[in-house]
Amino acid sequence: MNEPRGLSRIELLQGTLDLIILQTLRWGPRHGYGIAQMIRASSQNVLQVDTGSLYPALHRLERQGWIAAAWSTSENKQRVRVYTLTAKGRKQLERERSQWEQLSHAIAAILAPPLRPSEP
Amino acid sequence: MRPSDDEIQEEIAAHLRMAIADKMARGASREEAERAARAEFGNVTHVAEVTRDVRGGLWLERLGQDLRYGWRALRRTPAFTTVAVATLALAIGANSAVFTVVNSVLLQPLPFRDPGRLYAVSYLPTDLPFELPPGVDDRLYLEYRQHVSRFDRITGYQRQDLTLSGVRDATRLPGARASATFFEVLGVQPALGRAFSADEDQAGTDRVVILSDRLWRARFNGDRAILGKAITLDGITRTVVGVMPRGFTFPAASQVWTPLALRLDPGNSFLFPVIGRLRADATPEQAKSELEAIALAMPPDPRAGGIKPVARIIPLKDTLIGKVRTSLLVLVGAVAFVLLIACANVANLLLIRAATRRHEMAVRIALGASRARIARQLLTESLLIALIGAAAGIFVAFAGVRALLALAPAGRIPRIDEVHLNGWVLGFTLVVAVITGILFGVVPARSGARREPQEALGQGTRLVGGSHHGLRSVLVTAEITLALMLLSGAGLMIKSFLMIRSLDTGYDASRVVTMSVNLPEIAYPDAARLRAFHTALLEQLTRIRGASAVGAVAFRPMSDVGIMGDFMVDGPTPLPHGYTVDKPTVSPGYFAALGIRLLAGRDFTPADRAGAPGVVVVSQTVARRLWPNERAVGKRISMQDQPGPNDWLTVIGVVNDVVQDAQLSRHSTIYLPYLQTSSAGFINQMTFVVRPQPAAGNLAPAMRGALRDVDPAVPAQALQTMDQSMMDTIAEPVFQMRLLATFACLALFLAALGTYGVLAYDVTERTREIGLRMALGATPGTVLRMVLGRTATLAFTGAALGVAGSLMLTRVLTRWLFEVKPTDPATLTAVTVVLLVAAFLAGLLPAQRAAGDRGLTTLLLRD
Repeated sequence: MNEPRGLSRIELLQGTLDLIILQTLRWGPRHGYGIAQMIRASSQNVLQVDTGSLYPALHRLERQGWIAAAWSTSENKQRVRVYTLTAKGRKQLERERSQWEQLSHAIAAILAPPLRPSEP
Repeated sequence: MRPSDDEIQEEIAAHLRMAIADKMARGASREEAERAARAEFGNVTHVAEVTRDVRGGLWLERLGQDLRYGWRALRRTPAFTTVAVATLALAIGANSAVFTVVNSVLLQPLPFRDPGRLYAVSYLPTDLPFELPPGVDDRLYLEYRQHVSRFDRITGYQRQDLTLSGVRDATRLPGARASATFFEVLGVQPALGRAFSADEDQAGTDRVVILSDRLWRARFNGDRAILGKAITLDGITRTVVGVMPRGFTFPAASQVWTPLALRLDPGNSFLFPVIGRLRADATPEQAKSELEAIALAMPPDPRAGGIKPVARIIPLKDTLIGKVRTSLLVLVGAVAFVLLIACANVANLLLIRAATRRHEMAVRIALGASRARIARQLLTESLLIALIGAAAGIFVAFAGVRALLALAPAGRIPRIDEVHLNGWVLGFTLVVAVITGILFGVVPARSGARREPQEALGQGTRLVGGSHHGLRSVLVTAEITLALMLLSGAGLMIKSFLMIRSLDTGYDASRVVTMSVNLPEIAYPDAARLRAFHTALLEQLTRIRGASAVGAVAFRPMSDVGIMGDFMVDGPTPLPHGYTVDKPTVSPGYFAALGIRLLAGRDFTPADRAGAPGVVVVSQTVARRLWPNERAVGKRISMQDQPGPNDWLTVIGVVNDVVQDAQLSRHSTIYLPYLQTSSAGFINQMTFVVRPQPAAGNLAPAMRGALRDVDPAVPAQALQTMDQSMMDTIAEPVFQMRLLATFACLALFLAALGTYGVLAYDVTERTREIGLRMALGATPGTVLRMVLGRTATLAFTGAALGVAGSLMLTRVLTRWLFEVKPTDPATLTAVTVVLLVAAFLAGLLPAQRAAGDRGLTTLLLRD
């Protein structure tokens, strides 16, 4: 297996996992394993979701009604639990997205080098 | 759709399979792929559990999970579960049984309509040296009946025992004379027929009677045609007008009610209990002032002297249960102690079990289960144990209530026929179970969840175990303390009982059989006819085969009834001020029959009859008190306040003092011969005593036969041995003693079990230490002493605290103690020794096991 050496997994901020899951499900229904794979792939292997966080998060989101779950059969004839984004979840995604954008702009602004050093 | 545990498992399994398939597709071998997928995934069980935690949003669902988990945990440790459940079943069952009685007797409303508004009305002096039961005299009652406005109605009644004859064997029945309004005030109407009419409550037209349901069924086969028929009570024919509903026996287990039919006596007045139903809009205060005002408006009674009566109203329930309340509350306290001990025991077991589950808990915490979650899980297990214990306890309570009722002294506990297990008891048991579960579960749960994982995970390196060591010691010490307090109470009661049993009564009569009779006025209106009856019955009794001596006395020995009074002495020395004596009337031969010793002079003879010179026999104390240095025989006394020449009675004999009343004290006594008694009231109640020959069988049937031969309409009462009379007298303290002793034994057993458990665990935990010590040269004796030393520390601390607690608490028993102080040092010493021996025995087994351990083997085996 080719894992990038020396690159530590990034710990997700509290609440970010929800946003990522919801975002992932925008591209269509997926089972837990699929979601994990997709997050990993779309983050260029930087984000590796801990299953110990993923499944509790999926079940929590389901309880909140943002995603729905149903058993179906996968391409290789496995019974899998497939999650779908609900209308309520779509709205939640919009909210979390805009919050995330505000937050990342703010953090980027703080981290960006100042135009000129402040004078004493 | 809410996924079940299985579905979460399945989802995870699918995830793993897909991960494995992917890795194999990328060229890994199956083994590599499986290992990698598992490593990537992490702990499957833990993930499943955390996910389930998220799912279980509804607390009920979580509870279900906890219960299932708890149930599995309990089934894994059957020995622990059995001991814990059995301990709780006993303790909770005992509590429920006592509560069943308390609930029915003290807590439940009286079985009358709106009983909270029923009050006993009283207008009596309250500052007398003795306590009068609440009551009102006849004239004032009539006044109240007419004028009170704060009560809907008031009614009077009077207890009376009546003899029913003509239906099978004559029998004596408890009953009451009741006003026409009696049933209406209580709000209970006859189930059959009607209550008394106002006309029937008048002297002369009062030949009617109402029966209890029980009497109606037992004696009249439940025949509805009984209405209008006549029955004979105390020789008087009365028409049955009604039958009360089942269970109505007020007052005091009454079986028959006749009209009160007041007859005012110009020279005398009578007191009887009066009940009022307070008006819904009136307060007790208003009612009291009204009663006071009406009484004050009456012309003053010249006989009252300086004694000032006070109007009082007392909730009817208080007048009925006042006496047993303390008795029952003492039992409640005692049985609660047992429950506390059981709690401490189970808490200890849980702590020990928690120690063995340290690893399990540490792993769960390390994997991320929250401490709250662990604590909740442990508490759920405790509650589960408590609930199972309580369920089993219900059966214990069922048996316990039956035992309690069987042990309860007949007629001493009011409302005893209302006692039964019901919803209240089940509710109580449930509440007790929950409280118990929290009580014994909270400490282990807190400490179980607090445990640091690294500490427990590294347990392999432990040498000296000290987990919960202090806490367990505190719990065991508390158990020993509580057990000692209960033992003290029981010990005092037992000592008191032994004091009574070894009491020198002054006679030797344990096998003497007594038979009491009450002769109705209608058949025996005067002293002559009463004397004739007694003479005839004595004659019949003398003929009984196996009787060695017979006699009669005009009261029942060991009862509260008796005649006391002062008298005049012939001579210069007046009677000491306030000196009163018992004045029983007896037959010739009474002293011999009862085993009372004649110290001087002679016994009465048939020649001491009406017309012959008046004679008396005095007891030793009377002789010493009145004629200290002289012969008493030949001196004269009189029972008249102003004796005429014929009123002087000559002392013909002196007998030893005896104990004859329920207070078990020795009184000065002057005996009068029944053949010289001219007052019917002194001899219309008589107790006949027959001393059996040494080898004689049961004389009771022959005595009953003798009575039937003399007058078949007179029933035999109290047909029993003097020993049984004595036991009846002390029935209440004996009941108290038996229950306290039972609870104390239970407490002692549980405390010993607790001590054993803790020491046994100590030894197990210190196996390596002990092994090391022995390997380094400690002898088995040293080890034995070490463990027993720890036992002694626990036991002596507990015992010291227990003695201190006893000194404060045993005062509540004073009422039942006979010639024993509640702080009796001998008793406290004895029970402390018993407790220490029990603790020593409990410690001996673990100590021996520890000493028997082979040092090297222990070390080798454990590593």
